[in-house]
Amino acid sequence: MTTQDPRADDRYSRQTRFVGVGHEGQRRIGAGRVLVVGCGGLGTVLVNLLVRSGVGHITVVDRDIVEMSNLQRQLLFEEADARAGVPKAVAAAAAAARINSSVEVRPVVADVTPDNVEELVASADLVLDATDNLQTRYLLNDACVKLGIPWIYGGAVGSTGMSLTVIPGDTACLRCLSPTPPASGTTATCATVGVLASAVAIVSSIQWTEAIKLLVGDRDHLNRTMLYLDVWSNDFQQGEPLTPSPDCPCCGQRRFDFLESTATSSTTTLCGRNAVQVSPGRARTLDLGDLARRLDGVGVVSTTPFMLRLEAGGHELTVFADGRAIIKGTDDMALARSLYSRYVGD
Amino acid sequence: MSGIDVIYLDNAATSFPKPPEVAEAILEFLTHKAGNPGRSGHSLAVAADAVVAETRRSLASLLGVRDPSRLVFTLNGTAALNLAMYGLLRPGDRVVTTSMEHNSVARPLFALAERGVDVIWLPCAQDGSLDLEDLDRALRAAPTRLVAMTHASNVCGTILPIGAAAELAHRHGALLLVDAAQTAGVLPIDVTEQSIDLLAFPGHKGLLGPTGTGALYVAPGVHLTPMQQGGTGTHSELLSQPDELPFALEAGTVNTVGIAGLSAALRVLKATGIEAVRAREASLVERLLEGLQEIRGVTVHGPLDSAQRVAVVSVILHGWEPVDVGAALDSAFGIAVRPGLHCAPLAHRTLGTFPLGTVRLAPGYSTTDDEIDQALVALRELSLSAG
Ligand SMILES: Cc1ncc(COP(=O)(O)O)c(C=O)c1O
Ligand SMILES: [Zn+2]
Repeated sequence: MTTQDPRADDRYSRQTRFVGVGHEGQRRIGAGRVLVVGCGGLGTVLVNLLVRSGVGHITVVDRDIVEMSNLQRQLLFEEADARAGVPKAVAAAAAAARINSSVEVRPVVADVTPDNVEELVASADLVLDATDNLQTRYLLNDACVKLGIPWIYGGAVGSTGMSLTVIPGDTACLRCLSPTPPASGTTATCATVGVLASAVAIVSSIQWTEAIKLLVGDRDHLNRTMLYLDVWSNDFQQGEPLTPSPDCPCCGQRRFDFLESTATSSTTTLCGRNAVQVSPGRARTLDLGDLARRLDGVGVVSTTPFMLRLEAGGHELTVFADGRAIIKGTDDMALARSLYSRYVGD
Repeated sequence: MSGIDVIYLDNAATSFPKPPEVAEAILEFLTHKAGNPGRSGHSLAVAADAVVAETRRSLASLLGVRDPSRLVFTLNGTAALNLAMYGLLRPGDRVVTTSMEHNSVARPLFALAERGVDVIWLPCAQDGSLDLEDLDRALRAAPTRLVAMTHASNVCGTILPIGAAAELAHRHGALLLVDAAQTAGVLPIDVTEQSIDLLAFPGHKGLLGPTGTGALYVAPGVHLTPMQQGGTGTHSELLSQPDELPFALEAGTVNTVGIAGLSAALRVLKATGIEAVRAREASLVERLLEGLQEIRGVTVHGPLDSAQRVAVVSVILHGWEPVDVGAALDSAFGIAVRPGLHCAPLAHRTLGTFPLGTVRLAPGYSTTDDEIDQALVALRELSLSAG
């Protein structure tokens, strides 16, 4: 589609001239179908680059709305989006249309769950992970391995970033590396330790590059290692090349535990109180004192022997030692899950 | 936390633990008897049919039903209530009900009101009790088809006077539908002696059976229009639903597995005796109420006299929101209760506890004194801390 436009040649000339892409590569990019999961720091850079480079069909999924604290690094959004409380996916699609009217960007305002992930992933040539939590990444890993669709992991927190390209059957998947998500509530999130825009931009740029290699069909140059970088301490590392583990529960034994939801958190609306309870999908013990320290400065935090209460961004979270949290003032399960992963961590 | 180390005080939602005989009977049924009841003559079909028939008879004898075929199996209490109300009521009919009803009575009535059924809501007192004079007045006001009421509140345990209500209803030409969700298996019920026309109840609460079970009793002379048509195993030559009970109202294969479990539960219950269950629960409630009154900052809703209530106790802990109390009890003490509105917003409005609701403590026959004491200790500790 994009190559039929006479101005397209000009538009993408710097890219087609690059030896790795060429005119045939650009044609494939134009026909490409990419799913971007998450539209925060990583997702906005990704959508921006995908749109500018002429990827023909982009779907972007995010459950959140634009907030002021996003603008520091989320490159597609503006103050007006935050003031109007526009859903991120919608704001991203609108910005994308202004940048390149010849590509299609479909916004999906939703939480990615075991119930919709296969449907979302199935129609994509590849999936870009731009989520903020490990639960969703394990879910994406399951869906992509099951359907044989490549996905590119990316994460940035503080001054650090990581990326991994997963080609089912060819490279290691997420569960080859770590069969279960690391104990959580212990992991740092952007809300608790912050994040530098540069770490976000570098990781997402690496992801975009991997996506373009896949779209043009150059598998030889794919990154087959876990990349790690720290922009503040000038540390850039590349691990050993990773191959699939035959013992991997996911790509080795084809057990899709996260798709079958045996290990994901559950949400219930609590009648009587405009509130949603998020329960972790597994036994977990939270150190409330520790969590209180991590949340210091994020909002108003108070603790009792039984619970921790956080008021932040107009929401009230009550967190208990067994990892459950009651999010008050909403009956929106997706929002509750989002606040949970932001403040408590998955 | 597994079921074993939980202090389970949510028996008003469903009873737990079930007697071990229930699981054994289900295993035995699935292993040796799991044919389709009444659908063929082979041994497995006959065995399954025998289990269903035996359970129907067992329920009948427990509830004073003379003709077991007038007991129709349903999936739960809600299905039995819907069958009764949708099967009976037509546009223009008048229904008198109370402000203590569960949504499984209230919502069908709200929906039926949209279709032209006239629904009169009798306000109950703040302790959940119903003034029979109010009922009498409502029945005098206009010809009434049905009085629909709960036997005991699932929010605060208050027992409503169904015997007297039946008399009043019949005097004014109305039928009585009783929602026995909180009483079947824990209060003596005799539909014949108490002249109850329709009795709806789940099998998974006081009757100690598995979920997926329930039943509706339909008194002789009361005709309900089926809500669904389908296979019955009898009269297959007819293209219309057979008229005879239970088949008229029991289209499709019943939950044989659940019914087998219910059958075993009823054997255990009868061996124990409803009177013994009632006495045990009353003693637990007295212990609980006494302890609660000693905790500063606790308000108990519903009657304090154990003779006027079942083992469903609602409390408010001052300075705490019910949802947080529920989560703290579970998280820090392993105590399972149900906070909130308990599917009964009208009842909570009646008690003055809408919209936050209450914390509901519902012990059961197998709850121990020690568990009640532990719950009291936990609540006392919470009362000393800020919500
Ligand atoms: C008073 C009352 N009525 C009806 C019901 C509904 O019963 P079930 O959950 O079996 O449909 C319940 C229980 O939830 C109840 O407590
Ligand atoms: Zn793997």
